[in-house]
Amino acid sequence: MKRKKYNIIFSVILIILLFVILYFAKLYLDDYKSRILNLCAIYTILGLSLNLINGFTGLFSLGHAGFMAIGAYTTALLTMPIPIKEQNFFMAPLISPLDKIVWPFLPSLILGGILAAFVAFLIGAPVLRLKGDYLAIATLGFSEIIRVIFTNTQRLTNGALGLKGIPNTTNLFWSFGIAVITLIVMILLINSSYGRAFKAIREDEIAAENMGINLFKHKILAFTIGAFFAGIGGGLLGNLIGAIDPLMFRFFLTYNILLIIVLGGMGSITGTVISAFIITISMEALRFLDESINLGFFTIRGIPGLRMVVFSVLLMMVILFFRNGLMGNKEITLDILANKLSKKPLTKGGVKR
Amino acid sequence: MNMLRTENITMKFGGVTAVKDFSLNIDKGEIVALIGPNGAGKTTVFNMITGVYKPTSGKIFLKDKDITGYRPDKITSFGIARTFQNIRLFKELSVLDNVLIANHLRIKSNFIEAIVRLPKYNREEREMHEKSIELIKRVGLLDVIHEKSSSLPYGKQRRLEIARALATNPSILLLDEPAAGMNPKETEDLTEFIKEIRDEFDLTIFMIEHHMQVVMGISDRIYVLDYGVTIAEGNPNEIQNNPKVIEAYLGVSEDA
Ligand SMILES: Nc1ncnc2c1ncn2[C@@H]1O[C@H](COP(=O)(O)OP(=O)(O)OP(=O)(O)O)[C@@H](O)[C@H]1O
Ligand SMILES: [Mg+2]
Repeated sequence: MKRKKYNIIFSVILIILLFVILYFAKLYLDDYKSRILNLCAIYTILGLSLNLINGFTGLFSLGHAGFMAIGAYTTALLTMPIPIKEQNFFMAPLISPLDKIVWPFLPSLILGGILAAFVAFLIGAPVLRLKGDYLAIATLGFSEIIRVIFTNTQRLTNGALGLKGIPNTTNLFWSFGIAVITLIVMILLINSSYGRAFKAIREDEIAAENMGINLFKHKILAFTIGAFFAGIGGGLLGNLIGAIDPLMFRFFLTYNILLIIVLGGMGSITGTVISAFIITISMEALRFLDESINLGFFTIRGIPGLRMVVFSVLLMMVILFFRNGLMGNKEITLDILANKLSKKPLTKGGVKR
Repeated sequence: MNMLRTENITMKFGGVTAVKDFSLNIDKGEIVALIGPNGAGKTTVFNMITGVYKPTSGKIFLKDKDITGYRPDKITSFGIARTFQNIRLFKELSVLDNVLIANHLRIKSNFIEAIVRLPKYNREEREMHEKSIELIKRVGLLDVIHEKSSSLPYGKQRRLEIARALATNPSILLLDEPAAGMNPKETEDLTEFIKEIRDEFDLTIFMIEHHMQVVMGISDRIYVLDYGVTIAEGNPNEIQNNPKVIEAYLGVSEDA
């Protein structure tokens, strides 16, 4: 198991390298660019968590925006300074004790994750008994219900007005730090006995159950862990943008994450990370499609939403022609990289077709 | 000692009675076969015993414990393992993973202990690996241990299913047409193999099989189903000479 030791050392070096790069990025990148990088990391967290549910366990869930909303509101409400809270809640005061407490960022994020996980656990009981399309519809419905609730709980969420002036606590260290932790947790989970049980459920529920796997327990486990990280991702997002409202958590948001995991490969961790970066960056790069383009002598009127048309077409192409996305369910591991670099023929630990 | 017993189990699907009043009695260490023409209700019997279907009426006992109506995973944990007529492997996963998964039901570490790789979990993982590799070696698949299970030829997939079932530590093994799709040589090997694992793993075996060569060769006793009704029960000799069976079953296979 010498290789394992090397892998750990190599991973640690990579992580240190990442943070050195982030340190300089933070120094030299302008706000706009660092915001996009932040988004890349946050979408990595969200993609990984949805892939755990959809890609690894094979549950077609579309409830991610709902879990993110829970995390985002929890974190925002806990981290906002009291005067800002008073400014926001001018229609009706914020319920106590939330109006008087201010928590540090980390515990707020974690509580946001825990609340999202708790709600996932509660709705999982009825919803996870459904299969395939029915599960998708039920989780989608749940996500919408969360939104409607948040629109109507004026004294808790400030209703449709949303929250403004959320402290911009999220920075590159937070977002990438948590993305790396999420990545490590996912790798360890997926390669554990529990991860194998998830994959067994994805492959064949009847066989899995007959091999002694408690379907419900494992489905709810994957669902809850996924929701936990979705909640944390939501919290990071809210405190990055600085303003949230119920409209932000429409199905559209889940759709973006779905796009990431479908493009990256359902059931591939590396695919999800790569695709989260590609999608987030191109989503920004293609922003001009939605806006007017001034060509000097005349302007092309932008069509708001055109960007999403491009992405929807892309999604359709992937589903029609590249069913497996970038990576299928394969991974780029350190072993494979090491083998590639030393140009040795692939050994047992390498890629297997 | 009594291993598996059913009391008048009946399965109705809407208006169709797939199995009617099936009563079974298997002692520890026996090899018992269930035969009958297509659609006789054999697989349905397996599905009732393993909890895939809840019998419309009747009771099932494992070592005198009433297991009627339990979930399949519970029943597996009680010590009943099975293979499937239409092979149901975890197709995208490796041979090793397929067998490892069947160890999961006995895991003691919870998921957090697994994620942080506590020594307790690492030990369990190592034990699972050793046991699985041993089983894979036993069924002769060591050379393809890292292959995707769906890439194996048919006969090897069947053996992998048996290895996977054994990994759950069963006291009784249910085999649904294990020789289906095998050539005569493979079939002969399989017959020997079933006897061997019975002795090695201290098993009781209940199998559905169409190959008369296999059935007559290794069964201690045979049950015959026709249209869901038990038309005969006895040792191979008695069954071979039972006119009802010849008419219902052997007659059919001669025509085919
Ligand atoms: N889930 C189900 N719903 C409705 N009918 C079913 C179901 N499962 C089995 N049946 C019916 O029950 C009868 C017995 O089927 P079963 O699969 O048990 O037969 P079998 O003896 O295993 O046949 P074969 O030799 O073809 O495997 C058949 O008529 C079948 O159509
Ligand atoms: Mg059958």
